[in-house]
Amino acid sequence: MTTVDTPPAPTAPAPPAPAPPPSGRPVPRSRLGRRRRRAALGWFLLLAGPNVALLLVFVYRPLLESFYLSTLQWNLGSPVARPIGLGNYVEWFTAPSTPTVVTTTLVFTLSTVGGAMVLGLGLALLLDRKIAGRGFARTVAFAPYVLSGFAVGILWLFMFDPRYGLVQELLGLVGLPSPQWYTERPWPLVMVIVVYLWKNLGYVALIYLAGLQSVPQDLKDAAALDGASPGRTLWSIVLPLLTPTTFFLLVTMLLSSLQSFDIIKAMTSGGPLGSTTTLMYSIYQESFVNGRAGYASAVATVLFLVLLAVTAVQMRFLQRKVHYA
Amino acid sequence: MSHRPARRTSRRRPLVLASALAAAAALTATACAGPSVGSSSAAEDEASEAIDWSQVEPASEITWWSNHPGQSKAVEEELIARFNEEHPEIEVNLVTAGANYDEVAQRFQAASQTDELPDLVIASDVWWFRYHLNDQIMPLDDVFEHLEADADDFQPALYADYEYEGQHWAAPYARSTPLFYYNKDMWAAAGLPDRGPETWAELEEWNASLSEQVPDGGSTFGLSTGPSWGAWWFENMIWGHGGQYSDGFDLTLDSEESIAGGQFLHDLFHSSGVATLSADDAMADFSAGLIASTIGSTGSLKGALDTASFEVGTAYLPDGPAGGGTPTGGTGLAIPSSKTPEQQLAAAMFLEFLTSTESTAYFSENTGYMPVRTSAVESDTMKAIYEATPQFRTAVDQLAEKARPQDDVRVFVPGADALLNDAIEQIVIDGTDPRTAFESITPQIETAYAENVEPYL
Repeated sequence: MTTVDTPPAPTAPAPPAPAPPPSGRPVPRSRLGRRRRRAALGWFLLLAGPNVALLLVFVYRPLLESFYLSTLQWNLGSPVARPIGLGNYVEWFTAPSTPTVVTTTLVFTLSTVGGAMVLGLGLALLLDRKIAGRGFARTVAFAPYVLSGFAVGILWLFMFDPRYGLVQELLGLVGLPSPQWYTERPWPLVMVIVVYLWKNLGYVALIYLAGLQSVPQDLKDAAALDGASPGRTLWSIVLPLLTPTTFFLLVTMLLSSLQSFDIIKAMTSGGPLGSTTTLMYSIYQESFVNGRAGYASAVATVLFLVLLAVTAVQMRFLQRKVHYA
Repeated sequence: MSHRPARRTSRRRPLVLASALAAAAALTATACAGPSVGSSSAAEDEASEAIDWSQVEPASEITWWSNHPGQSKAVEEELIARFNEEHPEIEVNLVTAGANYDEVAQRFQAASQTDELPDLVIASDVWWFRYHLNDQIMPLDDVFEHLEADADDFQPALYADYEYEGQHWAAPYARSTPLFYYNKDMWAAAGLPDRGPETWAELEEWNASLSEQVPDGGSTFGLSTGPSWGAWWFENMIWGHGGQYSDGFDLTLDSEESIAGGQFLHDLFHSSGVATLSADDAMADFSAGLIASTIGSTGSLKGALDTASFEVGTAYLPDGPAGGGTPTGGTGLAIPSSKTPEQQLAAAMFLEFLTSTESTAYFSENTGYMPVRTSAVESDTMKAIYEATPQFRTAVDQLAEKARPQDDVRVFVPGADALLNDAIEQIVIDGTDPRTAFESITPQIETAYAENVEPYL
């Protein structure tokens, strides 16, 4: 009979195949491949289509629209706008407030990300040990992460109150006067950083904890047999094996820190005197307070490019140092 | 080793995607409905067609966006219930659209050009003109005339605030002036007369005896700053020295008189030792007995009377060497221009009810805001209240004797209020020289005027 080289038959009855070529020649492989590819595309559209559509409508369309808005001089809410090309960008790069905003963003991002990574790792190492009440301690450590940033901000605002707050009481116990957390720079920025750290520490610790538990016990046992101290084991075995986790956390924490808004809005509204105004907060400020939606879109585009660049740099250079077990 | 590349990509992709998404989210924050690119005249022509209100049937349901000024949510609900006794056919949905005037306004701006707009919206002193510039609200004169709303009975100074080019763009609702609040118990203990200081100089004289009465960390006088706040009370001080923010739209922050006003503010905090900056809310520090006096809105009166454990006194804002003056503030209510005439009529009927003699007296009694109608001030309800609690009377008298229209640049130039507050904070917090502080914000205000006001005038 025919010598058609059929693939392993699927369990379902085969669909009515196209009539075999009358000559009895083998079906060209490329046609079969095409059919399979078409089926794969169908599955892809079916499964990923809804998600892709949502992304297109709610992420990529606004993204492109925002690029467009950044070339306009547009008062938010106004039915008309004036195209001004790159004017908004020129203004941002030459504005006297820009260096301050950039510095604040850098200080905020570096201290929140660095702090959360170091403290989170420490916390994870602690929670990884077999201590009593470990499950409870883990829950407590992670709980702040699931709270609303706005509520967290408002609660901490009470605690930092220089006259009645808990922080002031605690400082009083060791004989220290309370700084003017709300008004005296740099304390407002410090306050916001502390709260952001408190809220996100649990997340970092949780991810690190998962990473720690995937470090093979036999490697640690072998190191112990060879006489490695616990510190040495941590430095030479555990930390290198945690690099994928560290890499993942670094990327996600950097992105979320650069975009943080709720805590700043709730606690300081970017003030006093702009001392807690980050790049993200200035977008809100320009757009919704000052009504300069075109200019705000330009700042948003700058932030977008910064995030993209940060990620690309991380992918390019840090990736090489990542070890996978 | 051979599996490394495969795992690498499988871990990278989601990250790359996540980063792209996160970055995109930053952008979508600002992407709302887009404007059309062109001149503004076409939109204005469209909006100016007159509607014959007698031919319009009111809609059966309207939405009201409020921030419940002076913690008035229950009061507003009661007013809606009273309205429904008269007009059961119109349902009013009260929406908490923000915690303060700015938040409501930001939400309103963001919702423009969508069909999510309310039928009635809070329009504060620094926001209504921006709504008008954007063609977002309609003039009320015609529809009020149709409803026989007796606009002449509104307190003239309050209704005139919303007038531009011969039309009124909002009606007064929760209207206030800043008041001088003082702690009568401390005043008595210090041997001072039971009244506020007539001049700022007098408060400075009283400082020595008052500062003995306040607890550690307290002061004779306290203030807080912030948007929609700092640049409001400072008008009293800059006017008191003969200065002003602007003459029309021309900035006058560099005049000798304006700088003298700034210098007075500087000295109040940094040399005479009379004032301290309240960490969060000066009214809270006052009610707690930490500071002997402060400036607060009329709308804080009911709250202060309820929470303070001492007797609260209210007085006019003190004068400066060049006289005095008080700004008026608070909020009016406006009707969006993009709604159907049916909805607009229903909203106007409700607005007329909210600002009626009875309603405004009820609102005033429960918040401390001023009655917006002359007839309400003279009504038996208010007379009884003034008899029992004379503090309520101060704002109304101050309005009649001391009110002065706000400087154009603060109320009409988008973002100028926040910038002026910024200069005030520089002076108060950092002790910056007033000339330097004012100079630092001047270019930004000029840009905002050139971009967002001048082309639309």
